[in-house]
Amino acid sequence: MVGSNKGLTGRYIIAFALLTVMVFPYLYMVLSSFADWSQVDKQIIPTKFTLRSYEWLFLGGEAAMPRPWLRAFFNSLIVSAGSTALMMITGAMVAYALAKMNFKGRDFINNAVLFQMFFPAIILLIPTFLIVQNVGMYDTYMAMILPKALSLWAVFMYTNFFRAIPDTFIEAAKLDGGSNFQILIRIVLPMSKSITTVIFLFLFMERWTELLWDMIVVRSDEMLTLNVLLSQMFGPYGGYPGPLYAASVVLTIPIIILFLFFSKQFKEGMQFTLK
Amino acid sequence: MKKNGLKGSGWLFASPYLFYALVFFLIPLVWSFYLALTDWNLISPVYNFIGLDNFIEAVKHPGVQAAFFVTFKFMAAFVPMVIVSSLTVALVINSLPRFKGLFLIGFFLPYLASGVVSSLIVKGLLSYNSPLNTFLRGTFGLDIDWLNSPLSALLVVAGIIAWKFTGYYALILTAGFASISKEVYEAAAIDGVTPSQQFFRITLPLLYPALFTTLILSIGVSFGIFTEVYQLTGGGPNYATNTWQMEIFKQAFTNLNAGYASAVAIIASIVTFVAILLIRKLLEVWGRRNGWV
Repeated sequence: MVGSNKGLTGRYIIAFALLTVMVFPYLYMVLSSFADWSQVDKQIIPTKFTLRSYEWLFLGGEAAMPRPWLRAFFNSLIVSAGSTALMMITGAMVAYALAKMNFKGRDFINNAVLFQMFFPAIILLIPTFLIVQNVGMYDTYMAMILPKALSLWAVFMYTNFFRAIPDTFIEAAKLDGGSNFQILIRIVLPMSKSITTVIFLFLFMERWTELLWDMIVVRSDEMLTLNVLLSQMFGPYGGYPGPLYAASVVLTIPIIILFLFFSKQFKEGMQFTLK
Repeated sequence: MKKNGLKGSGWLFASPYLFYALVFFLIPLVWSFYLALTDWNLISPVYNFIGLDNFIEAVKHPGVQAAFFVTFKFMAAFVPMVIVSSLTVALVINSLPRFKGLFLIGFFLPYLASGVVSSLIVKGLLSYNSPLNTFLRGTFGLDIDWLNSPLSALLVVAGIIAWKFTGYYALILTAGFASISKEVYEAAAIDGVTPSQQFFRITLPLLYPALFTTLILSIGVSFGIFTEVYQLTGGGPNYATNTWQMEIFKQAFTNLNAGYASAVAIIASIVTFVAILLIRKLLEVWGRRNGWV
């Protein structure tokens, strides 16, 4: 066996080197956001630092109008939080029905969910846009939240997890006179914390970094999400990469903090999903 | 035994899905077939039924033909890239006695990046005066215009997405490794198996279920590329990175050809559905022939 101390150190060095390569783009982004403008995209590791990129971002610069970056950040927060919360609630409800309730048509709904999951969603893009436009939701938060208020993946994940919860827990609660809503909230969900964390992180992350949909249903500057605003500034800010890196940091860091904060539960939850 | 609640309560709990399936699936589905038969331009109140003209025009259009082939070229680049890199990461993590979880979390971080952000970083790293290009020019006299030559543009986009998914797939593969029992390796060691034999004859076959999952996932990803292409190349140069999403977006929301774009979307969906089904079947047959499943 290669269990010697020397071999072990080597393995950790390789693992650490590989990890450094993988997270290098993030390091580059953070360093570039603080780098002196003469060094942005010209040096891998800048030597002179400044806060000018962040000043420019939030207070405006000489060449571009101050853009509503702060507003965009809050838009992203409202849209992602609203949409994710709804996806979690609807996901848990539908999954509870599919996993723990007996009713006519349950198998049909279950199959419909699976079928829809594997259906190429691109076909729905244009007509869904037209629905949003026709009901007068164009350029509102609702346009970004409502069409993304249910996640088939969340339903699927919750259903699998709920099925693994023994029926005896639910029957006992029923004998005590609990309604299905009470059982879902007081018994089933507290038993599903780790899977809830996994679902929450994936959904929030995906919603936070959505581009195509948020780009087509919004027109006015005050409604843009941070991701869309950053995307639109590629051209106008093209000659000023510093502030773009600063905006990238503002967009990326919250999601990384959120992920690291929940990483322990995330690991536990992933273990279930990967079985 | 008490019956499960009220009679209608199952449907009540499932009602969010029923609403969603009606408003955001069935209605748009029917509508898209209707739109595809018209020449509607997204704005004008007047439009005509033109039968299957949109479909005929679409299959002749270089953008659509490009999208068809680009998807498979992209798959040919992206799938091997991401499988090799995630397998490498999983092997390295698996060889560590401690801190596996910590490394897995670290490798997972790229998955959290917005496509817009990774595109920006790559654009910076590949810009004319970037350290990489200055070095290549200075040392080898190489002047590569990464995003303006067809092959490198495709490889760059594939690379960005492989970077994003490596840690996620490594997580799946690590779980696969964990399910292989130590006794198999011990038995093999007694029989004097070489390390490469061990990898190809034992690890890989036993890892097949996890590998199958990552293959299917990565093939699915290949059909849904938009952000990185939109940000970096706009589908160019000369349609070399023109994905289905990109073509549909351009036709529907830049050129405002809603009817025509719906026809393209229908073609894209059919191609995607059939291709994924076929590849899945092929993988299953391949696995069974080798006795892995």
